[in-house]
Amino acid sequence: MRRHKRWPLRPLASALIRSRFCFSSATETVTTEAFPLKHVTRSNFETTLNELRAHVKAADFVAIDLEMTGVTSAPWRDSLEFDRYDVRYLKVKDSAEKFAVVQFGVCPFRWDSHTHSFLSHPHNFFIFPRQELTFDHPPAHEFLCQTTSMDFLAKYQFDFNACIHEGISYLSRRQEEDASNRFEMLYSQQGVVEVEDFKLVRLADVLFAERMKNKLNEWRSELLHGGPNASSQSSSNGLTQSTETVFYHMRPALNLRGFTSHQLRVIQLVLKRHFGDLVYIHANDKSSSCSQDFVVYTDSESDKENLLKEAKDERKRVAERKIQSAIGFRHVIDLLSSEKKLIVGHNSILDIAHVYSKFVGPLPPTAEEFVASIRDHFPYIVDTKILVNVNPMLHQRMKKSSTSLSSAFSSLCPQIELPSRGSDSFLQQRVKIDVEVDNIRCSKWNAGGKHEAGYDAFMTGCIFAQACSHLGFDFNRPSVDFAHNEKLEKYINRLYLSWSRGDIIDLRESHSNAENWRVSKFKYEKIVLIWNFPRKLKAREIKECICKAFGSTSVTSVYHLDDTAVFVLFKNSELVSEFLKLKEQLESDDGPVRVIHPLSKILEGGNTGAADYEAYKEICSSHISKVLFSDQAETVGVKPKTRADPKGETSSETGRKEKMVAVTDKASDLIDSFLANTVKLEAARIN
Amino acid sequence: MQLKMRRRFLSSLAASAGNSKTLNHRRWTVKQVTKSNFKSSLDEFRTSINSSDFVAISLLNTGSYAAAWHRVSAIDTPQTSYLKAKYAAERYQIFQFALCPFSLHASNLTVHPYNFYLFPRDELKLGMPSYSFSCQASRLTSMAREGFDFNTCIYEGISYLSREQESASKFLSGNPILPDPITAPSSPSTVADTVFVGRIRSRVKNWRQSCLDSSSKTGDDDDLVSSLRKLVLGSEQYGSRLCLTIDVCSERQVQLILEMLTEFSDDVVPLLTASKSRGTQAVRTVFMSSKEDKDLFKRELQDLEDEENRRVRGFREVVDLISSSQKPVVTQNYLSDFTSIHAKFLGPLPSNVDGFTRSLSSAFPNVVNLSQLMKEICPLSNISNLPAALSSLNRFFAPVDVEVANHGCAVNPDEGNQMHGQNVVMISQLFAKLSTIQKSYQSPAQSNEDLQDLDFEEHANSITSNDENVKVWSKNSRRVSSENLVFVWGLSKKMTAAMLKKVLEKSSHAVFAQEFDVKYIDRSCAVVVFWESGSSETFLREVNNEEQLVGCLREMVAEGLRVAGYETYRRACRLGFWEADLAEALDKTLESSETDLDSDNKPSDIIWSSELAINFDEL
Repeated sequence: MRRHKRWPLRPLASALIRSRFCFSSATETVTTEAFPLKHVTRSNFETTLNELRAHVKAADFVAIDLEMTGVTSAPWRDSLEFDRYDVRYLKVKDSAEKFAVVQFGVCPFRWDSHTHSFLSHPHNFFIFPRQELTFDHPPAHEFLCQTTSMDFLAKYQFDFNACIHEGISYLSRRQEEDASNRFEMLYSQQGVVEVEDFKLVRLADVLFAERMKNKLNEWRSELLHGGPNASSQSSSNGLTQSTETVFYHMRPALNLRGFTSHQLRVIQLVLKRHFGDLVYIHANDKSSSCSQDFVVYTDSESDKENLLKEAKDERKRVAERKIQSAIGFRHVIDLLSSEKKLIVGHNSILDIAHVYSKFVGPLPPTAEEFVASIRDHFPYIVDTKILVNVNPMLHQRMKKSSTSLSSAFSSLCPQIELPSRGSDSFLQQRVKIDVEVDNIRCSKWNAGGKHEAGYDAFMTGCIFAQACSHLGFDFNRPSVDFAHNEKLEKYINRLYLSWSRGDIIDLRESHSNAENWRVSKFKYEKIVLIWNFPRKLKAREIKECICKAFGSTSVTSVYHLDDTAVFVLFKNSELVSEFLKLKEQLESDDGPVRVIHPLSKILEGGNTGAADYEAYKEICSSHISKVLFSDQAETVGVKPKTRADPKGETSSETGRKEKMVAVTDKASDLIDSFLANTVKLEAARIN
Repeated sequence: MQLKMRRRFLSSLAASAGNSKTLNHRRWTVKQVTKSNFKSSLDEFRTSINSSDFVAISLLNTGSYAAAWHRVSAIDTPQTSYLKAKYAAERYQIFQFALCPFSLHASNLTVHPYNFYLFPRDELKLGMPSYSFSCQASRLTSMAREGFDFNTCIYEGISYLSREQESASKFLSGNPILPDPITAPSSPSTVADTVFVGRIRSRVKNWRQSCLDSSSKTGDDDDLVSSLRKLVLGSEQYGSRLCLTIDVCSERQVQLILEMLTEFSDDVVPLLTASKSRGTQAVRTVFMSSKEDKDLFKRELQDLEDEENRRVRGFREVVDLISSSQKPVVTQNYLSDFTSIHAKFLGPLPSNVDGFTRSLSSAFPNVVNLSQLMKEICPLSNISNLPAALSSLNRFFAPVDVEVANHGCAVNPDEGNQMHGQNVVMISQLFAKLSTIQKSYQSPAQSNEDLQDLDFEEHANSITSNDENVKVWSKNSRRVSSENLVFVWGLSKKMTAAMLKKVLEKSSHAVFAQEFDVKYIDRSCAVVVFWESGSSETFLREVNNEEQLVGCLREMVAEGLRVAGYETYRRACRLGFWEADLAEALDKTLESSETDLDSDNKPSDIIWSSELAINFDEL
């Protein structure tokens, strides 16, 4: 019910927003107020964008954070123990493609050497993929909502009305291109109004054509010879149809209203046949979406050409303006990209993937291409989750608390979380951070709303600033270049591809592709995926069955993907193909062997599917998302099979392995040793 | 084109009708129901429905179709229409469910309008009622324009479980449940089984004995002894009763224990405890002091379960009320409304339309499809626009006085949200008018068998109606067998239907010498309609035989033109290739080698109407 207190329920979201803005501007004099946050919707977007430009240009770094409508489109799409890096990328890609971003926090930070503090400008953008372009019909835009995520947003008082009613729309670069191309095509067609010759068959058409011909003739001669009354003639039959003399591009014109498109075609035909100097113009109105039709008088052939060109140019201008305004929130992304600022995020692979898919274009099919492409748009990205986990000193400062955004914030920046708590002496070594919203600067506030993207971005930036201070940055030195500072070199452009597995994706230019993938502890070719077995079977029973058939040490472990599927990790890869072969044999056998064979327990029901790891990748790459993995496998239609050439498969696999090992040997920085430690730890835990 | 114009006119009319000024006198107070007032409203609703003769419903979903060709159109048979509706019903969410029990006496319409906000809250953390749902951005935008309050819906919406989900949740909610009575003895036991059963039997025996002892000499033991005994025997309390928990590690063991426990069925009742992830975690045996105690215990358990179910069921209680009342349900859009209702509140949708009709009629035997009723009386009007539909009936003399009979609901004119769910009153009103006009007021409800041919009348089998090609009620539409349609794609982007027709006419192929028609289904794919049977086969054969092709048709094939018969389209729908472009879906279908095992192979009729061309304004 807190919600009611904050924003009394009113039907119009604009009212809500206004009241919230009052909030942020009310921080003027009072020392402890709610956290000042600039909420941005489409009504104040234009002005805010201009201010933001200046802030970003001056900024040392920009922190971002996103709120989405969901994370996983199916339970098994969550990050799992057995995910190879390429599968993990496919899962990230699926999430970014399916869910919508509803809030985008942008918070530029600038070191103010006069006050010896960072000045931050937290912005909270509500965005919504509204379709702004109407001259063409791109495929209906759809997004997925995960019910638990929506519930989560609701728990933190997310304002859905503000988002849907007033959210800022956007076009990705690709969408913009497509829109311009489509428009180009559309208007090149329209430009040359080529009336197809058709015969007037119906009596009504013939009569209508004759009537229009007379009427146009009358109008034309009145124009030329100065008739009695050239304005507003209502049509004879008293219907809604009307013609009115107006001026179109400084030429006398008839404004046609209330005609059906068929009648308009007949009029065009009449013009073409009988009137060389009257031109038919179909114009899209600038302000409204409705179009208008004119018959325009031209006094010469060249004038006619000019007129057509003018009309064409105008249409083009209108469309370009429309596309420009439809770009909407992407202007902010373009700004960050063109300024080449250091982007700071917390566990931000999903955020970056969302940014790419919403504002650049469709995500590339592989992680390698993604890495290569993201560099062009965001050359410097730093992830605070990497920082606090990989740097031993920072890791220690976290005092073993979790490295989630909010706990990292309270461990590293207690002075900012609750600035009203006074100034202990130990706070002296803390970085001071001020907030400025709408030109009002303040340094004291109550804790802000967590999971409000703008506040989360602010927290992320604070963690980064504090971490830099711990790393020994001297902010007062002129021109502290964060992006090129050697103290940050080990951390910059590295993201957790999967936090739970510790996979790190490296975006650095010098390391071309995914070579820096950490050597995985699983040999994926040893894995078999089984689904649609009898539901009551548990992992342990499945392991027993297989061990009965292949020997007690054949299976290393069995791991549930969800209720309907398991991964079976065999001792070696030969067992994988043996298992798949045996399964096939048993299925084709109707004899008693089938019933008494130990595997029959798994195959019971006759729908059990099994495949190797590559099939799992294939299933993950599908854009379909069924809730149960077994349904997914059936729908994607992976045929239970062994790979045609397992030899070839393994050799390429070992090739990559060698390469990976080589890189690990070569690199000997903190990260790798740290990771090696965790691998050992994890290995120990498993054993 | 004419139609397009008319539609635009109608929609502008609707826009003006939507203005509060013109419609002010027609605004009714609709009771808005959210989580907080659901319980009280439920009783009120029960009274309303009992005192009414009909129930009008109107659903507001988060989307209707993702791509142009996904919407039900003229070229669809009942089966493909159903598959399209099914696809939508499974993906989108119902945000608002407006209901209006009403009765009609002479010209007096008494309505009880309710508007329920729904949101699928995963209260049990089991991915139910739904793990996720799709939203069509444009739909949400238009809902926003109409002032829909998303915060109320998501914060305060009522959750629900379908009938099937409820029975599944019973086990997963963590509450102990009574096992189903054992029907057949399990498969022959192994040595291990015998040992296991023996061990458990002696454990239960000892425990039971101790229970019997303690109940016979209550109070004799001091606390220490009794607690020691409990510790040794592993005995616990279940409520006020003694119980023993036996952990199990497979369903097989559960079966064995339950079989063994029948020996003690007089005073021991087994309960199953589910583990959080899957399967049974433990069997609990509860000691009963007497036969009466046992009955009491079972009744308690049943009450507990009922209470839990009611909590979990949520809005479905309302659906169950309608279903059990057997009152005729009036809907504006039969297929989309009832596929949604079936998917959300009954269970997963069957794979074909017959299964759906059967399954639905067991829950809702009486359904009135308003659009069908409307078509019969006023064939040219567009039912999707209710105010326009109502005004189109003005030429009939059918006065209807509306009286809102919702009591106890505060009318606050300042609160705009009272206005949501107006549609459902208009549906009642429209139904009242139509039935007055039809004079079939005595028995306006159609039973479901009637509905089958009422709703899908136009799709009746071609064999019976081959001689009559033209439908009476619309001079522009013709009945044509689905086998006479050929899908054409891979065309140049600038091609229009008229151009394509011209090209085909010029192609000097025999099949195009006769009359035929061309329409675009979406941007990527057109359909060619032959009036003569057999022409489609000839055309398909010739295009697929590239060597013998001549002229521009050959050129087009070389440039990527592809063709397919209706069967491919049917298969695309059945296999669920819901791509954004129909062309892509058909390509995929042709690639997939899966043979069609479906019995839905017989040709069906569709109504071809020049009016039914795809209107891009509406997409």
